[in-house]
Amino acid sequence: MPSVRHAEQTLPFFLCLVVAVSLLESASAVEPQISAIAPSGFQRGTEVDVQFRGARLDDAAELMLYEPGITVKELKAEAPNLVKAKLAIADDCRLGLHAVRLRSQSGVSNLRLFAVGALQEVEEVEPNSDFASPQPIELDSTINGVVKTEDVDYFVVEAKKGEPITAEVEGLRLGYTFFDPYVAILNESRFELARSDDAPLLRQDGLCSIVAPEDGKYIIQIRESAYGGNEQSRYRLHVGRFPRPRAVFPAGGASGQSLDVTWIGEATGPRTETIVLPTTTPKGLLYAKTDRGISPSANVVRLIDIPNVVEAEPNNSRNEATAGPAPVAFNGVISVGGDIDHFRFPAKKNQRFEIHVYARSPLRSPLDPVLNVYRVTGGARIGGNDDTVGPDSYFRFTAPEADDYVIQVRDHLRAGGPEYTYRVEVTPIKPKLTLTLPERVRYISTTAVVPRGNRIAILANARRANFGGELTLTANGMPTGVTAEIPTMAANRSDVPMLFTATADATPAGALVDLVGKPVEDKVQVEGHLKQRTMLIRGQNNRDVWGHEADRMAMVVTNEVPFHVDLVEPKVPIVRDGSMQLKVVARRQEGFAAPISVRMLYNPPGIGSSAAIRIQANQNEALIPLTANGSAEIRDWKVCVTGRASHAGGAVESSTQLATLRVADAYLGLTIPKVAVELGKSTQMVVAVEKKQDFAGKAKLQLLGLPSGATSEPIEIDAAATQATFEIKVEDKTRPGRYTNLVCRSVITENGEPITENTRGGELRVDKPLPPKPTAPAAPKPVAKPVPPKPPAEKPLSRLEQLRQQKKESE
Amino acid sequence: MRVSIVREIGERNGASHRSSGSTFSLRRPAASAVPLTQHPTLISRTMLSMLTTKEMTVRIASRIALPSLMLLVAMVGQVAADAKVTSIAVYPTDIALSTAVDRQRYTVQATRDDGVTLDVTTQATIRAADPKIATVESHTVYPAADGKTELLIDFQGHTTRASIEVAEVSITPAVSFKLDVMPVFMRVGCNTGSCHGAARGKDGFRLSLFGYDPDGDYHRLTREIGPRRINLAFPHESQLLEKAVAAVPHTGGKLFEPNSEYYNTIYQWLEAGAPQDEGEVPAVTHVDIYPPAAVIEGAGSKQAFVVRAHYEGGVTRDVTHLAAFSTTNDASAAIDEHGVVTAASRGEAFVMARFDTHTVGSQVLVLPKDLQYTPPKIEGNYIDQLVGAKLQKLRIVPSELCTDEEFLRRATIDIAGSLPTADEYHAFLAETSSDKREKLVDRLLARKEFSEIWAMKWSELLMVKSNNQVSYKAAFLYSSWLTDKIANNVPLDQMIRDLLAASGGTFNSPATNYYQIERDTLKTAENTAQVFMGIRTQCAQCHNHPFDRWTMDDYYGFAAFFSQIGRKQGEDYREQIIYNRGGGEMQHPVDKRTMAPKYLGGDMADTKGRDRRAALAEWLTASDNPYFAPSVANRVWAHFFGLGIVDPVDDIRVSNPASNPELFATLGKKLVEYNYDFKRLVRDICTSQAYQRSCVSNESNKHDNRNFARASVRRIPAEMLLDCVSQATETKDKFRGLPLGARAVQIADGQTSNYFLTTFGRSPRETVCACEAKTDPTLSQALNLINGNTVQNKMRQGGVIGQTLAAGKTPQQIIETLYVRCLTRKPSEEETKRLMQIVASAPTAQEGLDDVFWAVLNSREFLFNH
Repeated sequence: MPSVRHAEQTLPFFLCLVVAVSLLESASAVEPQISAIAPSGFQRGTEVDVQFRGARLDDAAELMLYEPGITVKELKAEAPNLVKAKLAIADDCRLGLHAVRLRSQSGVSNLRLFAVGALQEVEEVEPNSDFASPQPIELDSTINGVVKTEDVDYFVVEAKKGEPITAEVEGLRLGYTFFDPYVAILNESRFELARSDDAPLLRQDGLCSIVAPEDGKYIIQIRESAYGGNEQSRYRLHVGRFPRPRAVFPAGGASGQSLDVTWIGEATGPRTETIVLPTTTPKGLLYAKTDRGISPSANVVRLIDIPNVVEAEPNNSRNEATAGPAPVAFNGVISVGGDIDHFRFPAKKNQRFEIHVYARSPLRSPLDPVLNVYRVTGGARIGGNDDTVGPDSYFRFTAPEADDYVIQVRDHLRAGGPEYTYRVEVTPIKPKLTLTLPERVRYISTTAVVPRGNRIAILANARRANFGGELTLTANGMPTGVTAEIPTMAANRSDVPMLFTATADATPAGALVDLVGKPVEDKVQVEGHLKQRTMLIRGQNNRDVWGHEADRMAMVVTNEVPFHVDLVEPKVPIVRDGSMQLKVVARRQEGFAAPISVRMLYNPPGIGSSAAIRIQANQNEALIPLTANGSAEIRDWKVCVTGRASHAGGAVESSTQLATLRVADAYLGLTIPKVAVELGKSTQMVVAVEKKQDFAGKAKLQLLGLPSGATSEPIEIDAAATQATFEIKVEDKTRPGRYTNLVCRSVITENGEPITENTRGGELRVDKPLPPKPTAPAAPKPVAKPVPPKPPAEKPLSRLEQLRQQKKESE
Repeated sequence: MRVSIVREIGERNGASHRSSGSTFSLRRPAASAVPLTQHPTLISRTMLSMLTTKEMTVRIASRIALPSLMLLVAMVGQVAADAKVTSIAVYPTDIALSTAVDRQRYTVQATRDDGVTLDVTTQATIRAADPKIATVESHTVYPAADGKTELLIDFQGHTTRASIEVAEVSITPAVSFKLDVMPVFMRVGCNTGSCHGAARGKDGFRLSLFGYDPDGDYHRLTREIGPRRINLAFPHESQLLEKAVAAVPHTGGKLFEPNSEYYNTIYQWLEAGAPQDEGEVPAVTHVDIYPPAAVIEGAGSKQAFVVRAHYEGGVTRDVTHLAAFSTTNDASAAIDEHGVVTAASRGEAFVMARFDTHTVGSQVLVLPKDLQYTPPKIEGNYIDQLVGAKLQKLRIVPSELCTDEEFLRRATIDIAGSLPTADEYHAFLAETSSDKREKLVDRLLARKEFSEIWAMKWSELLMVKSNNQVSYKAAFLYSSWLTDKIANNVPLDQMIRDLLAASGGTFNSPATNYYQIERDTLKTAENTAQVFMGIRTQCAQCHNHPFDRWTMDDYYGFAAFFSQIGRKQGEDYREQIIYNRGGGEMQHPVDKRTMAPKYLGGDMADTKGRDRRAALAEWLTASDNPYFAPSVANRVWAHFFGLGIVDPVDDIRVSNPASNPELFATLGKKLVEYNYDFKRLVRDICTSQAYQRSCVSNESNKHDNRNFARASVRRIPAEMLLDCVSQATETKDKFRGLPLGARAVQIADGQTSNYFLTTFGRSPRETVCACEAKTDPTLSQALNLINGNTVQNKMRQGGVIGQTLAAGKTPQQIIETLYVRCLTRKPSEEETKRLMQIVASAPTAQEGLDDVFWAVLNSREFLFNH
């Protein structure tokens, strides 16, 4: 168990991270962290020594890789903040970014990215910040470097006339910091031959290429686009002759389909090739490959099994629209500024389609499409869209009549170019299901850490589109010894608790678990999988700038934790406008005495629970107060409580079983009246009872919220009662006023447990007694005169008595 | 009196008071609003009718002490001068009278052979050729019968004439609210901001400020419930009149006399039932002021001005009594409410008359009497010709040319923002060619620093600065874009077209930041007018501009060019995409009219199917645009002279005229001729003699600072000063995003600053005003230099003294080096002697020389460009 923190030995950035983490979740010493992977990328087909820097890594056990192609030959924790590994990168390992987590015996780390490249790896060597003395490198290499504050790095390559030189940078994409690189290729006379700040294809990372105009030296410059930078601004700069198209056209087809494509946007000009669309995951990644090399990162295409139609120019007007069937995928290019493309498809009356223009996502085309749909007959505009899906457009189309319809696509700024490729997919409206895991700690993607012989519960979220109904969730590929208990997700709910239990003899292990969601009813055919976003770079106000999307959930079995928690399932329901004490019982390992904070995994709708309850040190029980509001949904819920305790310098967690919590309607409908009373007197408050559910025995009623000095005795009523009368006594010292915070609490006991209901309303008005009737004004007292005897105090009159007296006097 | 005059005129013309019927025609004022006794020229006329010039001279001489006749002295002076009258002119030359109540004042101006003009209206013999058509009385022509005739003027043998055309004498039009009543409110000041024109009115009564909303004013006068503003049964008991004549207490005091013309206008309108004007009333198309210029000599001499308004449909009207007069220089040429200028001290003034929304002006030069002046020969380029012509007009002799040392330092700081190096100093002094100054200017213009200074200046005007909406990267790219354009000599018109019509992402197309830094449509329009045309339209957002021609219609018509700007967030959250929405209109706030885009001071724009901004950019940068080129040229000029020809450079308006209109126009024309390559304009300016003049003044130009007769002493602007200090001390500065040793003028983001720059008035880039960058010397600047750490630290860091001592130089040599390095001159013998004493008395030579260096850096000679 790592117990000592070594934050002081790590990078300043990591210090911040530790502080941040400790603030967020009161520091989990058992939760390993990776802050950096060095080098940040590797050449495939090689064996490399890799350092994982971070914290709490001293019981590191395994690298959890999200994709194949990398074999861990050796993994050893050198220090709590350093793990050394020897990795073998397969020849066919996918190029580009890969995700990894590090599993230790007691937990699983955050997710980090590293890159796999095809070229030889070179380390940046400072000083190289002067144009006149750049770092020499060979063409076709990948530089691992850092842009420190206002740093500019120069590299020089030699190229022959006619050779292409391409520079692609992986900077922000490495996921360390908001590093926005700028890359340029200059000649020896300092003229910029090509430059790139942001490339739509690579987001903030740059890409530029030239064809060497003559034999000679070419200087590659890299810096932060506004001369920023810091120690975390790492980059991988691929410089070589490799092909690096900016677009591929047509940008999609069916998986495994043979397709004639044009690679667009290379310095050497467009290139046509017949390719077979990939069938492997991640889906739709195409790598341009020639005898000069292979593209360092992929071009993305859409894989969908519908007819592919390629635009036939001219199609600049509706009359010239390229026709296709429906469903269909139209492929086009807004090839010059001002170009407008039109496509035509038939639809039956009331036929519905989704019309989605795919450009920026996933194709990463510079096009910002604007979509309009027109009916051919009469030319009426049916609808359109600009930016529903990021810059891309989406329109849900319903045909008003059987007719042909025309889709119009243009660029938002009426720009264009050969790389402005896009696909318009016209597809029937189909059910879609996506599963996510809500963050338990802000900005940290949720993982399942199951202590052996214990349980952990996490919540799953489902996003249903175009269908409804109950869902079943299953977790496939869990580590040996782990079982899952996942109740059916109700039709009106989008979340459900999942409880994972590891047997006592399970060995610590990790797995990437495929979470599958399906409708309970088999009339809807849809299957949903996990799509888990890990935010790696956040911008101003924690905006998501760059991250990773995983299709599986990281689950690990860890060593035991020193306690179990169990929920005592209530035998009675919690009623609307009622409250309940949920009992949590801890089973402590011998010698473990630390307090355990307990909180509900989730609150069913209308139910509130305290999140600040602890099982005190050396205690084994705690009560979590629950309240239900008047509109709490009446049904049985599977609830669960997770306990968290400090242990061995960190924090460990374990969950209770899923217990049933029944939410029921109120038993008694009480109405509190408004009453008034004078100081020093007593009054009766008659609470009306409208029974809603039958009950056995007596209901004990108590009036709460009375002012200081006012008291009433609890009373008991039976199921037949229609009213309950409280005797309220008000002492003289009570402060006069209106008291409206009255609560009538009723407690009905069933199965030996209380059902508590709290009714609010009514008013108690405490009045000052009216002053006694004024007597004749006393004559001014002579100073010297002795004080006359005091007249006997009159009995204070009630208002009614006063009125009677006044009447009498007037007669 | 006023009523009787009206009656008299009515009878004379044989016309009865009746409305002109359904067709709307202008109503002429019935008689002069000027009480005869108040008009000086009238006094003199009465007197002169009895006296001959000779007699008068004698009589005046004997009664010189009589105060009542003091006024005549000037008049006598005018006619008795030795110089000969060479020509006379009458204004206006085309008198057109229509309707019975019309009239036209005239003024007669004589010009002497020395250029001095005289107001001889009272002395000339004037008559109508056909008195049956028109009559002449009190310098005013009145209609008698329909027809044409001429006004004949004779003065000292010179004759001239003006045409007179009389029509519709049978018609007496009714009083119009908008044409007759509203001008009275304006003239007597009812609707000014300090009176009822205030946003909430005054004392419960509100008028629209300067009358921008006549319909609203009509409503408030006649329909608003409250005090009895008008009383149609007893018009004279209307509060409107009682207040104005102070018959009842009025916070604003007495504004006019009962029975004055103003009173009668309002009275007659009330008597007629306070009618609202039916249909459209003719608008004023333009206003003339006569005479167009005057050169008057000697304190006390006078010149009367006449103002005439032209309406739609070609009708004219004498509005001298309704115009508000002002002057730019009270000390030289004060003007009274009747439009009479009285000369005082030597100087020049621009007298203005405002009527309706129009302000017109006339230049008045005041010369001392009997000035001895020999015009110097005008040499140099076109700038010198124009400056020289103006100086001759003013009888000013320019200062001598400055020395080579002065010129080297002045030009190097102005053009390149740095001090000349010792090598440059020695080389320049050693050079003997006659065009060495031109060569120096060319060398300096070729330097990168020149474009950096101008990129900085444009960055200031365009407020390049990061903030919550504009990321540092966007500001950096915007600044780089500007620097790039200027460094590559992209013509300014091209640059501005790219800027104004920019669409796209703020990263991808950095010029779009113009619309991101200022996102408010109205402010964008204001900024555009101020930056690129030098016109401040801000006033016209809420009311018609009080000192310029801009109306609310102009303002919102111009703002309509920016009403269709769309903004959306780019994929990178820091980037905004600016685009043309193709929809969206500008509404007039008073009547909610949709305002079609209209060029400021120009025509309606045809923007159908176009980006309105592109149309605007095209119009603005067209070679015949009257605003863009002169305003940019004026900014360039102001950089080198510390003063614009129009100053402030971004407040060009009728009431702030150019000190040298011909030069102002010519510089603009040259800029267009040079295809907006302002580098060539800078070359013209820096090689002109005007730029090369010494700061030392002479007797004739010591009080003049507007006509470039001598060089002005200017504090070096903040960024350039810091660069100069760093250069002199051989130290390096560090600014965000720039490598160590970068110059302050290269700072991209307005947010980046330091204490020195802020203290010395670096532009905070918060508004587009040219006044943001300050060069006023302040106490904190002096204290910063004396006690602050900039100079002291830089001296220590640079170690200049130590190094030169180590190199084996003598203190005397070092003192000379310091002088050349900092002041671009060698110390005088006296200076050397005294400084050597200081060095000798210091504990070490190093300390003594440090003190000398410190003193030089703190000297005014170092801080100022001269």
